[in-house]
Amino acid sequence: MRDARPCPETLRIRSRLSSLTCALFVGATTLALSACSGEESAAGSRFEPVRPGVLTVATAFLPAPGFWEGRTPSAGGFEAGLAGALAKHLGLERVEVVQVPFASLVAGKLGGADLALSQLTPTSEREKSVDFSTPYLTAPPGVLALRNVDARDVHGLQELRWVTSRVSTLTPIVLERIRPHRDPAMVEDRTQALAVLRSGRAQALMLDLPVALALASADTARFHVLGQLDGDEGLAAALPDGSHNREVVDSAIHALTADGTIDGLVERWLGESSDDVPLILTEQLG
Amino acid sequence: MPLYAIQTPSGEVLEFFVLFAVILLGPIVFNRLGLPGLIGLVLGGFAIGAHGLGLIAAGNHTVPELGHLGLLYLMFVAGLELDLQVLKEYRRAAVAFGLIAFVIPFIGGVTIGFALGWSLPATCLLGALLSSHTLIVYPTIREAGLSGNPAVASAVGATVLTDTIALVILAIVAGTQTGSGSPQVIVAEIAIGLVVLLVVGLLVLPRAVDAALRQWGSDRVARYLVIMVALLLMAMLAQVFGIEGIVGAFFAGLALNRLVPNEGPSMERIEFFGAAVFVPVFLVSIGLLLDPSVMFTGHTLGLAALLVTAALGGKAIACWLAGPLLKFNRLETLAMYVLTIPQAAATLAATLIGFEIGLFGTSVVNAVLVLILVSIIVSALITQRVVVRLLPGHAGSAALGAKVLVVTPSTGPSDAAVRAATLIARPDGGHSNVLITRTASEPRPDPGDVRALEKRIFSHGFDGHVRTEIAVLSDAVRHAMIAGEASLVIVDDPTFDASPGPLPLLVLDGASTDGDARQLIADGDGTEVAAEIERRLARGGKPRRMPALR
Repeated sequence: MRDARPCPETLRIRSRLSSLTCALFVGATTLALSACSGEESAAGSRFEPVRPGVLTVATAFLPAPGFWEGRTPSAGGFEAGLAGALAKHLGLERVEVVQVPFASLVAGKLGGADLALSQLTPTSEREKSVDFSTPYLTAPPGVLALRNVDARDVHGLQELRWVTSRVSTLTPIVLERIRPHRDPAMVEDRTQALAVLRSGRAQALMLDLPVALALASADTARFHVLGQLDGDEGLAAALPDGSHNREVVDSAIHALTADGTIDGLVERWLGESSDDVPLILTEQLG
Repeated sequence: MPLYAIQTPSGEVLEFFVLFAVILLGPIVFNRLGLPGLIGLVLGGFAIGAHGLGLIAAGNHTVPELGHLGLLYLMFVAGLELDLQVLKEYRRAAVAFGLIAFVIPFIGGVTIGFALGWSLPATCLLGALLSSHTLIVYPTIREAGLSGNPAVASAVGATVLTDTIALVILAIVAGTQTGSGSPQVIVAEIAIGLVVLLVVGLLVLPRAVDAALRQWGSDRVARYLVIMVALLLMAMLAQVFGIEGIVGAFFAGLALNRLVPNEGPSMERIEFFGAAVFVPVFLVSIGLLLDPSVMFTGHTLGLAALLVTAALGGKAIACWLAGPLLKFNRLETLAMYVLTIPQAAATLAATLIGFEIGLFGTSVVNAVLVLILVSIIVSALITQRVVVRLLPGHAGSAALGAKVLVVTPSTGPSDAAVRAATLIARPDGGHSNVLITRTASEPRPDPGDVRALEKRIFSHGFDGHVRTEIAVLSDAVRHAMIAGEASLVIVDDPTFDASPGPLPLLVLDGASTDGDARQLIADGDGTEVAAEIERRLARGGKPRRMPALR
């Protein structure tokens, strides 16, 4: 069935409405384009470094076996390589490293750096002070133990002498999921915890699995990784709170993951695959 | 019992609880508000995600991984549900409209990308994601009996073209961004991959799955798993060649289209799991990405406005051009529009993959989510008006093999009858059912015998329901003719005789190997139907003569 032919008045109204629609369309498009233009790419705002052409990276532990093999990026290591790859992806010429205490990093004091790469695990508490990027590495809890120590299940883990640090997000995991029979030795940070472990005053230390694997790989005569617990944790870059660079850093990490750069760095610097580490279930205690 | 054993809920059980609570309640709440249920799933995902209540943490892998499987499933079902018969009938209109509906939004997307100074891969991906569309409102239109309308059929057919081109562009962009070779090598690799997918999808997979279903098909679980394995195999094969898994999943759906009839029990099971778990989890996983701090910024909203304009405006221009060209009236053109504006599956796939490979930031993802919500709402609202005014069109009558009913005496169907039903149903994407009649004095079939019967008939490619009824065979046939639910009735009893009725009746002698041992009873001139039956039955083995006509 065909519509009746509209009267001239209706046609005039339609014509005006069409003109108005076109004008609104052009206006809205112009507004939208102006809102979106500027220093933007599809991957986010263009990276704005603290110093032009330089990616300034803060880290706490230098050297950190597997992650920062020396005090400069050229010395190698997973996070050193990641810093270089990020700089290249973001169109920056070089990387500079500043050492900042771990407690300062998680408190949002990055020492004037663009970002921190320091085996940091995002937590809601830390997110109050810093912005975290998307994780670049999965990092469930891993048990670093002395070479002569063994445990196959959570009951075995309970028998061990543990050392924990006050600033670590993994301390509650030891206390709540492992529940050691003896009170763990409590120290300030990871450096002290490792010293206690090396001295033999403790037998086990809970670390992010990639960190544990790297430390075990660097000193195979003394350490090994007993097992891993299940968890969704990951290691991420920290950026100053409210940083405009977060989106483009996220996109860069996605790109480096997708093109295999991060896998290559893991293979080169972190050795044993986390898939080869036995999983120890702790739910049975619940 | 010590009270300190009471703990705050946490861990996987809590995450699965909130996930399935959202899947249950999200659509219910939004349907009550008169909005599409899938918006409830996306917003529910946001509510439980890291940017909402934080019940599912940012580092959670389970929900995104299940969501990825859901995306594969969604694309697979899109390929599986396509009515290839309708597509074949309106292929020219579908190709013409598909090209126009792809090119115009693509140009819009590319223009926006270049205007904003984006890189070439990001610009092409934006064009591709705006050009694709998802047949979200098609079930509503199909239920209104409009699937045979030429404009509807053309729009459905056009989807194959737009989504395939969009997914190929996605494959090329993703391959060049993540591969380590030169662009030429990667494009060549993808081209080889597409050829392999086509060859496997057209030649190998249907035969392999058919053989597997004939072997294990009587076990419903095994039947479903064979189909799932086929889907994942194609997705994996696509990835081997650097092509996104969703392309393989879509090809898998097309490959199994004939083997899994749209109204058969296998499809019911596929749709059940899709609707209950896989697709909702995918939509919830999208909601996890919603970040109000990113979405409600001038930049994201401006970008969203541009995307909405390019997608909805581009499709409007495409319909406005294609409608008169294909001689469709305004209402039919509007039907094409509502079918082609919803952006969901391929759009989300392209966006998420762009995000995962670092091409798109969270601003683009959130702008696309706004586009998806707007396009679905607009299309759902217009569809309600279209379905009450649009005429069904001449293709509305059921195809010969749409629903074949085999009526047998208590001895059950012969192999020949089941084989004939399958051969007649498959070309139309239809399915067959078996009705076994018995007298009141005959005992109920033993469950063991029923299982043996199912095993036998599934080995002939059967995909339907078997039921028994206390009735005389001739009465059961008469009831089927009156009900008119079947498109063809096969009577597995050579002694049966009846006058021609509203449906064609094929009378078979299952015990005979003679091609003449069948008779077609059809109203009016049944020569064409008889010839068509003969042509289809000839595919199953040696050519036979046309059934005798009465």
